[in-house]
Amino acid sequence: MQPTIQGMPISTVFDGMKTRNVQDSTTKLASAHVTIAGAGGLGSNIAIALARIGVGHLTLIDFDQVELSNLNRQQFKLSQVGMDKVTALKQNLQEFNPFVTIDTAITKIDHDNVASLFADADIICEAFDDPTAKAMLLDAASEYFPNKPLVMATGMAGVHSSNSIVTKQVRPNLYIAGDGTSTGAEGLMAPRVMIAAGHEANMIVRLILDHPTV
Amino acid sequence: MVIVNGEPTQVTDGQTILAFLTARQTPVENIVVERNGEIVRRVDYDTTYIDPNDNLELISFVGGGR
Repeated sequence: MQPTIQGMPISTVFDGMKTRNVQDSTTKLASAHVTIAGAGGLGSNIAIALARIGVGHLTLIDFDQVELSNLNRQQFKLSQVGMDKVTALKQNLQEFNPFVTIDTAITKIDHDNVASLFADADIICEAFDDPTAKAMLLDAASEYFPNKPLVMATGMAGVHSSNSIVTKQVRPNLYIAGDGTSTGAEGLMAPRVMIAAGHEANMIVRLILDHPTV
Repeated sequence: MVIVNGEPTQVTDGQTILAFLTARQTPVENIVVERNGEIVRRVDYDTTYIDPNDNLELISFVGGGR
């Protein structure tokens, strides 16, 4: 008997979930591996967007646990407070799309471990909150993986205009989304963080589908 | 004149990238420097001297996201 998900044959579920994807995108998306550095406001939203459309392999890296203060913008549930973020996020992603391979690493990313953590990634996604960590990842990725696309974000705090968040191609393999100026001290809320996350996720999708312009 | 983020900028002769950034009173640790199209490794900031013909892009980051 054919294996089923929710009482439906697996192939029916897989094909049905892809019905509204952009034409001819599914195969390329399914063969892509994106490694996401940080599983918070940016990372959780980016991961959900990529998982829903069927990016085949996601690696989630974060050392942190889910806190109450995360829930105004990060894609976790009240029942997941206290869990490791990557474990909670993997659980949620698997409910949205069981056809994605998800690796997790509970570790703090530093200059030295970038070489191993991102070796298998087709695209590196930066989703930190700490600006020093953002700069560190750019520094290390430029050294170890100068030819891998790196998608980053800076500036998505407050309640400034949605339209001030843009994606810029800064170098051949470097894309940075955000308003460039608003800092976390202003407060961070789901809508604007999700806009920046959407920018990053869509840039990643464009790269996977061979549209490397912003 | 050194070009910094597209603007002609007066830079002290013989200044390293680290000294230049420090003098700008910007948080050095949040900035990555591109010099003539190449990323300068952070470990090289204090041994890389700015040339008057250099074109520098300072890629700076602010917090918030995770």
